[in-house]
Amino acid sequence: MIVKKILFTMLAVLMLGIITACSSAGSESKNNAEESQESNGGEQIASSDEALIVYTNSASNGRGDWLKEKAGEVGFNLEIVEMGGSDLFNRLLAEKNNPIADVTFGMSQMDWQTLKQEEALVAYEPSWIDEIPDGSSDSDNFYHPIAEQRIIMLYNQDTYDETTAPQDWPDLWENEEFHGLYHVPSTLSGGTDRAVIYNILTRHLDENGELGVSDEGWAAVQAYIENGYTTPDGEDRIANLADGTIPISFYYSSGIPGIEEEFSFEAGIVSPEIGVPATVEQVGIMNHGDGQDYTLAHEFIDWFGSAEIQGEWANNFGSLPVNKLAVDQATDRMKEIGQSTSVQEIDYDLVGKYIDEWVEKIELEIY
Amino acid sequence: MSRLKPQKLNQRNKAHNPKRILLPFVYLAIAWFIIAFLIVPNINILMSTFLKDGSFSFDSIEKILSSERAMDSLKNSFILAFSLAITSNIVGIFLVLCTDYFDIKGAKILRIGYSTTLVFGGIILANGYLFIYGKNGFITNVLTSIFPNFNEEWFIGYPAVLFMMTFACTSLHMIFLRGALSNVDYQTVEAAKNMGASPFYIIRKIVLPSLLPVLFTLTILLFQTGLGAMSGPLIVGGENFQTISPMILTFSQRPASRDLAALLSIILGIVQLILLFMVMKAEKKTNYISGSKVKMKLKKQKINHPVGNAMMHIVAWGLFVIYTVPVIIVLIFSFTDSYSISTGTLSLSSFTLENYLSILTDSASYRPFLTSVIYAGLASIIVVIAMLFIARMIQKYRNRLTTIMELLLYIPWLLPGLLFALGLIITYDQPTWLMFNNVLTGTTVIMLIAYIIVNIPFTLRVIKSAYYSFDESLEEAARNLGANGFYTFIRVILPIVLPAALAVFALNFNGHLSDYDLSVFLYHPLFQPLGVVIYSATDANATADAKAISMVYSVILMAINAIVLYFVYGRGNKINTAL
Repeated sequence: MIVKKILFTMLAVLMLGIITACSSAGSESKNNAEESQESNGGEQIASSDEALIVYTNSASNGRGDWLKEKAGEVGFNLEIVEMGGSDLFNRLLAEKNNPIADVTFGMSQMDWQTLKQEEALVAYEPSWIDEIPDGSSDSDNFYHPIAEQRIIMLYNQDTYDETTAPQDWPDLWENEEFHGLYHVPSTLSGGTDRAVIYNILTRHLDENGELGVSDEGWAAVQAYIENGYTTPDGEDRIANLADGTIPISFYYSSGIPGIEEEFSFEAGIVSPEIGVPATVEQVGIMNHGDGQDYTLAHEFIDWFGSAEIQGEWANNFGSLPVNKLAVDQATDRMKEIGQSTSVQEIDYDLVGKYIDEWVEKIELEIY
Repeated sequence: MSRLKPQKLNQRNKAHNPKRILLPFVYLAIAWFIIAFLIVPNINILMSTFLKDGSFSFDSIEKILSSERAMDSLKNSFILAFSLAITSNIVGIFLVLCTDYFDIKGAKILRIGYSTTLVFGGIILANGYLFIYGKNGFITNVLTSIFPNFNEEWFIGYPAVLFMMTFACTSLHMIFLRGALSNVDYQTVEAAKNMGASPFYIIRKIVLPSLLPVLFTLTILLFQTGLGAMSGPLIVGGENFQTISPMILTFSQRPASRDLAALLSIILGIVQLILLFMVMKAEKKTNYISGSKVKMKLKKQKINHPVGNAMMHIVAWGLFVIYTVPVIIVLIFSFTDSYSISTGTLSLSSFTLENYLSILTDSASYRPFLTSVIYAGLASIIVVIAMLFIARMIQKYRNRLTTIMELLLYIPWLLPGLLFALGLIITYDQPTWLMFNNVLTGTTVIMLIAYIIVNIPFTLRVIKSAYYSFDESLEEAARNLGANGFYTFIRVILPIVLPAALAVFALNFNGHLSDYDLSVFLYHPLFQPLGVVIYSATDANATADAKAISMVYSVILMAINAIVLYFVYGRGNKINTAL
């Protein structure tokens, strides 16, 4: 009886496997057929319909699907693999001897710097190099900027107005009326959360201090964390911001329109005089060795970074494109954010050198 | 001594058996597997974490020792592990007594309620508790309306974590302890009763001792769960009761801090191994004899004392409420919009089917389900079959070699999944002789291998206990009747251990179905597993109704888990899963 049952269960799983394999293969070929029919209309850019595997941390909210479809129209067969920023970085490092991705876009300039040092990238000069500001690319052409993410302090406009809201980060801990009313991340693994930390620490650089930061700098970070509200897992910090429970928070710029729509509110934007930290998402090609044909990857990058695509992307998903010819197409809210804040001057080489140690020290000693 | 005799006999019988010639090859294969998958990748990742600029660096030890937070978290993890092993066992035993030993009204419904934790666990469960006891939770709101001064942040800290995890961790009791209870000999219980023993005396002196082997294993697993607690402390632990696992996870995600992660997990792992070793010793000394050879099925005991009876019913049904309300709340909230979910408020207008529609009508969304079902199914079947074989070897050939083999197979309990996954990637990203010049990184096989490996310790533990729990006299009887080894195994031994094997299959399967930690580094880009898809849909940086979508995924996962359990246990099959 029991033996029969286990045989049955195994058989069921096996059948399921076969059915899946068949049905997914079937639907795939159908999809391909549809795609190729559709794409007959568009101009073909891709020289081959081989799959191009693209890793990114910047494909959520339908951006990945949009890109795949858009690229399909000009003949690219994209396979987009999406994961969080730190997972993506870890995976790329782990796979460097045998990379799976052809192209990666997203992350921050510091991650790309490491990948370059680890020889995980190959250099390429894209066709749109003249359309981005001079000196914004990697000097050896291993990676190129795509979009800028500003890290912006937000407040609830029912609680504060422009004058009563904090004017800069130090207000949060120096001014007691904000104590307990601003969000502090519970971990520092995300790029946005880290930006807040280096935004504070780089104001107190001191060659003789611990890890290049003066005692005041460390005291400031400690005060920032201790006087804020560390949002626990399971609680939504944006909901807290929207309903005024914890009326001060921060977010990355291109995500702001999304959260405003989701919680139907408009966040107040803090624009410190010193500027706001900005991370820059980049695009680059993974190093598959000298024998590899990189033509398709080159064609994709030329297409993806072009003013047309970056402009549409910005228009649809609210990013701040680096391509000068695409900036105009950013949404009004993005332009507003872009204009009302300026970019803080930060020595990213130095941040890149220390950030891991800074975060580790904070996690061990301050939290 | 009596145990050794038949074994020697067997060996003599088998001298001319072709299987004897195969045995060295089997050992060789197992040795290769252990070296290639359990030892080399782990050593590689440990080397790469502790080896800095060509020399070993042990800064990490000093860093950990001087970090107040790390030491506090370690302490809290141990406190939780010890207390959870006690409280969860108490509750678990009580549950099983309610459903299967005492005559309680509505025991079948109680059993369903108590079993909800089998399909409803981890972060989903923690969120469910938050919906009830949290700041805006249901009970909290009721309490604040009665007592205006009531502190709405009452459900936080050590008591909250312990409360939540105590109930969450009884799922294994509901499977294995119930099975063991049904093996308690009814005649012994009756005899004691006739001699005037009180119900509690009988439980203490007859029922519990025969459950002891199972309780051993459950205690190890509970201790381990407490030590590795993640979502519970993160969600309701508050600032004063954080544990070590979240810290290990953050450290292991950052290459520069991996030495800290490795060090902390090694500390936890060593403690677990010590406990395991102690239990293995104790097991060797214990003889599991369960009453008479002619067992009679247990009949439910009536509680004659009216007050005692009423009390039992009240507590039993009170527990039922504690178990079921979070599930019901999650079910209800999965039909509401994200605003209701994040604020914990309910109104008629917030009900929507959109969350379900957006997932179920997305043509791309069924593929991750199938990918995960196939991976989880294959891995669970392979590991169960392999461990049925290996555990049998360990039982039959008790020698130093098999003891070492057993200990080595517990290695996956030592390191967190993430480090182990990275170890696999960096070891097999180029052809090595150990893998017969194959590259594993980037193939579809590597995740399957990882899924199999992480289940080895638990599966081996459960199946080994199952082998030990059966009456060896049955095997002897079969032999004496002339049955050969293989026939005896298939017809006599296998049917007895199969329930445990099936149960562990279901648990492994359900565990893998939404796995993220391991999968995120290992999955093949063309076959995204469910956990990865859920994560990218619910990532803190994804805006659109992420919470609502994660709720819906949770409910769908619960449904799949329930179906799997139904296949194993349902349809009126009376499977007794004894360890």
